[in-house]
Amino acid sequence: MKNNILKKFLLIMGVMSLAVLFAGCGKKTSSSSVKHITYWHVNAQTQGGATVDDLVKKFNDTHKNIKVTAKYNPDMYKGLMQNLQSAQASGKVPDVTQVGWAYDNYFSSNFKYMMPTDAAKKFDGNTKFIDDNFSKRTLSFAKDSKGNLVGLPYSLSTPVLFINKDILSKYNIDESSLTTWEGVKAASKTIHDQSGKYGLYIQEPGDTWAQQAVMLSNGADIQKNGKAAFASSNGIAAYKYYQEMVNSKLALHTPWAQGMDSFIKGDVAMAFTTIAQASHIKKSAVFNASAIVAPHFESHKTVVPVGGSMLAITAQDSEQQKAAWEFEKWMYKAESAVTWSKGTGYLPPTKVALESASFKDYVKENPMLEPAVKTLDNAIPWTSFPKKGLQAEQSMIDARDKILSGSNVQSTLKAAQDKINVEQK
Amino acid sequence: MLNKNKKILPFLYLLPTAILLLVFMIVPILYTFYLSFFDWNLIAPTKEFVGLKNYVEVFTDPINQKVILNTLIYILFLIVLNFVIPYFISLIVKFFIKKMQGAYKVLFFIPSLFSLVVGAMLFTWILNPVSGPIAYLMKSLGMTMPNWSNSGILAITVICFITNWKVFGYNFILLLTGLGSIPANIIDAAKIDGIPKWKLIWNVILPMNRGIAIYVLILTIVQGLQYVFTPINVITTGGPYYGSSNIIYQTYLNAFVLYKTGTSSALAIVTFIVFLVLLFIEIRFVEGKAKNYA
Repeated sequence: MKNNILKKFLLIMGVMSLAVLFAGCGKKTSSSSVKHITYWHVNAQTQGGATVDDLVKKFNDTHKNIKVTAKYNPDMYKGLMQNLQSAQASGKVPDVTQVGWAYDNYFSSNFKYMMPTDAAKKFDGNTKFIDDNFSKRTLSFAKDSKGNLVGLPYSLSTPVLFINKDILSKYNIDESSLTTWEGVKAASKTIHDQSGKYGLYIQEPGDTWAQQAVMLSNGADIQKNGKAAFASSNGIAAYKYYQEMVNSKLALHTPWAQGMDSFIKGDVAMAFTTIAQASHIKKSAVFNASAIVAPHFESHKTVVPVGGSMLAITAQDSEQQKAAWEFEKWMYKAESAVTWSKGTGYLPPTKVALESASFKDYVKENPMLEPAVKTLDNAIPWTSFPKKGLQAEQSMIDARDKILSGSNVQSTLKAAQDKINVEQK
Repeated sequence: MLNKNKKILPFLYLLPTAILLLVFMIVPILYTFYLSFFDWNLIAPTKEFVGLKNYVEVFTDPINQKVILNTLIYILFLIVLNFVIPYFISLIVKFFIKKMQGAYKVLFFIPSLFSLVVGAMLFTWILNPVSGPIAYLMKSLGMTMPNWSNSGILAITVICFITNWKVFGYNFILLLTGLGSIPANIIDAAKIDGIPKWKLIWNVILPMNRGIAIYVLILTIVQGLQYVFTPINVITTGGPYYGSSNIIYQTYLNAFVLYKTGTSSALAIVTFIVFLVLLFIEIRFVEGKAKNYA
């Protein structure tokens, strides 16, 4: 009896081990002809995740030798970076990775990646693909502090001034007066005096992207030769303007979600925020909403830091790198890039896509995008300090919080600048 | 043979839990302790040894000092909201209200089933100082709602209320059950003797319920400090200028936003020691009481 059971057991084990053996063989034969690569992105279902899945499916259907698996990483670029750290520790890195601009230097100095120019030279024999598709300005967004091209720009965004046209016309405010921050202040005063409503909200997420745009549009630099330089007279003047607006209740100072909610409900007349908010505003606002180019201070021009992300090749093996490069090139085709833009609300990164008929039609249907596209010509890379960049960003957030709570602008900005520069030596 | 088995078996039974504890608790704690002496960004191949610098920073850095003070404020608020008030109400329900005890239990318990993220988002909307329903209501009455997210102490208050919404029912039921387990004959005896109710509660009920009460008190502090993390992360991200941050959020911020693992580990170890002391107190009172009965 006992023997019988043992025999049965051995038989089952034998069959199973054979099955495993065959399965292993099957994989081996298929892997020599089909390359499997993984693509890590940050797009949740509500932020274009479905579009990413569609694009990947389309790529897989048209490419018999490459199979891409897309993996969504929660909690945006920060969450993706955390996952990438553990992936690096376990030695199983993705092949194509979406990296936010703020992580530019942190990524390039801590992870292994293949420069897109190297990939182009190695697999295409020349850099024609990059030269044809990307303008010099767009490429500059993806360079680290040493001037290396870390990845290719993928999603682009710029801040714009969203306006509540109903409020503006009710108080006879001319839209053309809102091209300068001085004009925005005058308009806010009129609105506040007559209705008690707030004039302006400037986004306050876990970065100072929008505040940097205000300083840059007053002729200030955020960094100069790798050192923080925002505590200049122009930078201080820009923040003083902002602080005064908040103190006199012309501008609302509140976390991002609440500020946007107030704009959408018509309690704030203007919102200075990313173009990626356009579809949300279009869907939810109960008033006539529109967008205009980011304002500048008198006698200065509009300059904004670019937002969004790039795609970097993190594959280590040459074959994998080649497949990753194929995938990237396909993702940058005008058709894919415009699809991606429609799904996410970001602007497409390539010249070809921006000038394509389908994108132009899309902008016609969604005129809020127009000022954002225009602003791209005035966009500069998002400041990423060479050393301890993430802590530098935190110092700038701290300075913003302090100033809006009433601290002295000059000494606060100077202290933040000094703190960042101590690390840059 | 049988004897030998008896000696080994208990350890064998403990093994699965012991392995889990070792892998997921003890090793990480030891590693955190090790990391607290280094300056490291989570990924760089080299870790720079800095000795006790991270620990000194925990107590001397003005931001950390502010955060420690906030943590104490949080503890105070949490004790009042999540311990004193539920205890008070459970006493009322137990000794002053005869009907509907079951209904109260269910009603109070429902919010604890919701996720805190949902709660935090819901309250951000309800309490929006400019465009929320409460703000509109106050406006129609001629009042303005304070912009609570710009004031540290108000933000802490709101965040504590959000966790209160979540844990009130759970703590209430624990305390009520504790009160229910007090032998009825003691209470009856007191009633026959004509002792006033408040005296009965103060001199008999509260001391007899001490074990459960201390347990809920410790839970309020330890779990409460972790629970407030979610609303802090969703609503204020610690702002305005660390005004609503606490030691646990600060640990997270340093580790996973700024990649300063050294500072973060030092903060975590300090928190760990504080919790250890609280645990010791809990064991003294709760388990000590059990021993008295035995």
